[in-house]
Amino acid sequence: MHGKAFYTIPVLALLLLASCTSSKIFSTDYYNKHEKTLTEIEQSYKKLYEQNRFSVGFTDRSFNDISLEIFTDSIKYIHEFSINEPRFLDTLKKFDLPVQGVVDLISKMKSIHCIWINNLDYYSNNQKRSLVFLSIRKLAFHLPFLNEKYYILTFYSQPQYFDEEGRLLSTRRQRKLRKINDDIFHRINDKVCYTVSERFR
Amino acid sequence: MNSLVINISRRCPLFLAFLLVCTGITAAAEDGSRIDTTPLSTRKQAITYLEKQADLPPSNFWPNVNPVIFIQNLRNNLEDPLSIHEGKSTNFCAYAALSYIPLHDDPLGFITFMLKIYKEGKAIYGKEYFEPSKEVKLAAGTLTFKGELDIRPADQLWFMLLADHFKGYLNFFDKQYNPGDENRLWASVNFAKYNRMVRKLFNYKVTAVGSDLFKPGIRDMYEYLADKLSTGTVTLFVNNVNLYKRNQTRLRFGVPTHFVILLAVEEVDNKIAITYWDYGGRTRMLITERFFKKILFGISHATKKTANAR
Repeated sequence: MHGKAFYTIPVLALLLLASCTSSKIFSTDYYNKHEKTLTEIEQSYKKLYEQNRFSVGFTDRSFNDISLEIFTDSIKYIHEFSINEPRFLDTLKKFDLPVQGVVDLISKMKSIHCIWINNLDYYSNNQKRSLVFLSIRKLAFHLPFLNEKYYILTFYSQPQYFDEEGRLLSTRRQRKLRKINDDIFHRINDKVCYTVSERFR
Repeated sequence: MNSLVINISRRCPLFLAFLLVCTGITAAAEDGSRIDTTPLSTRKQAITYLEKQADLPPSNFWPNVNPVIFIQNLRNNLEDPLSIHEGKSTNFCAYAALSYIPLHDDPLGFITFMLKIYKEGKAIYGKEYFEPSKEVKLAAGTLTFKGELDIRPADQLWFMLLADHFKGYLNFFDKQYNPGDENRLWASVNFAKYNRMVRKLFNYKVTAVGSDLFKPGIRDMYEYLADKLSTGTVTLFVNNVNLYKRNQTRLRFGVPTHFVILLAVEEVDNKIAITYWDYGGRTRMLITERFFKKILFGISHATKKTANAR
C-alpha cells in the first residue's frame, strides 16, 4: 500500500506539472515544429475562401466528425458530417467548393491536431480587416472536471504592433491591447500571434 | 326590446342599476382594448421620418456617438433589420434578438425613441421611462474589438441602455456599468427578464415555456414550433456552447446562454431544419430532435395585441 503511494504521488505530480507547462513554450515550439504545415493550411484556406466563404473544424476528440459552415449572401448553412460520409463530398459539390482542396485542407489540419479554421473580420480605425483564426487542441494529459484549453493562432496579412511584453496592440499610436474573442494575444512573429483559450472558436 | 326593458325597470329599479353597471363595464372594456393594442408602423414611414433628421447635431448626452454614423446605423437597421449585430464576446444577444420585433413591426416607434433619447438623454418606450446612467452615456460609441458592433454606435447605445434599465436576478451583483461589463453579468439576461422586456417595451402578448434551468417538456418539437411560428414571433433560449460547439469538453453542464429568433422550421429526413437569426444574419442548421431538446431551454412566443384579439 505504502509502495503504491510512493509511486502514485510523484506520477500525479508530474502529470500536473505537464498540464501546467508554459503556454508560451508550447505555442512557439508547436509553431516552429509545424510552421511549414501551418503556413500551407493558412495559404490554402485563404485561396479556397476567396472562391467560396466557409469555415471548417472537427467537433469530436478523435477527429472523425466535421462541422462545415458555408456562407452565402443571405444565409449561413451549418452542416455536420462524419469524415468518410458521401454526404460531405456531395455538399462541397453542391456549394461549388473545390472538393480536393477542402479534403486536403482537412487532412492537413488533422495531421497537426488543428481543430478549427475560419476567417475572422475585425475593425481597425473603423476599417474592416480580416485574419485567419486557427485552433489547436493540446493532446496532453487532461484532468477531468477542468475546462480544456486550446491554443489559438491568428494569421494577419499585415505586420502587427506589440508592446514590450510582446502583447498584440490595437494600433501603433494607441497603446491599447487588441482583444480577439475577449482574449489577449502574444507575438510569435510580426504576422502571427497566439493565445490560450477555453473556447476553440 | 326597449319597451320591455323600460317596463321591467319601472317595476324593478335594481335591475335598471344592474344594466347601467353592465353597460359601463362593456364600454370600458371596449375602450381599453382600443388603447391596449400593439403599436405598428411601416419601414417607409420610419425612413421618411429619419430622412428629416439629416442635420442632427452632436448630442451633449452621448459625447462618443457621432450623429452622422448614428443616423447611418439607424438607416442600416431599417433597410436590413437582420443586420443588427450583438457583437463578438458580449452578453447583448437578448437585446439584439428582441430588436427583431420593433424593426419588423414598428420601425417608426423604434426610430422615434432612438432619436428622442439621443437628443434629450431621456425618453419613454412602451411602458418604460429611460434615463440612462452617466457611465452608459459615456461608454456608448466606445466599445471596440466586438467585430461589427465596433462601427454601429446606435446599436451600442440601444443595447447598453436596455442593459442599464432592465434588471434580473443575474444582474444582482453587477448593477452599475463599468468598462468591460458588456461581456459580464451586468449585460446578461435571464428568460423571465427577456419576456418582461418584450411585454413592456412593445406591448406584445408573450407566452413562454421553459426556464433558466429546466427544459420545456415538449413532445413533438417540430409541430409545436411550426404552430407557434404561424401566429407570432418565436425566440429560442439555447445553450450556445453546444449550438456552436465551442469546446470539446466531455462533461458539459449545459445552461442556456443565448437568444435566437426562429425564422423557419422544417422536417427533413427525420431531422429538424431550423433557420434562425443571430449575429447579424440568418443561419440554417439540420439537427436531430434529441439534440434540439438537449440545447433548448426556453421558447418565447410573442403575438400582437389587436383590437379584435381574444
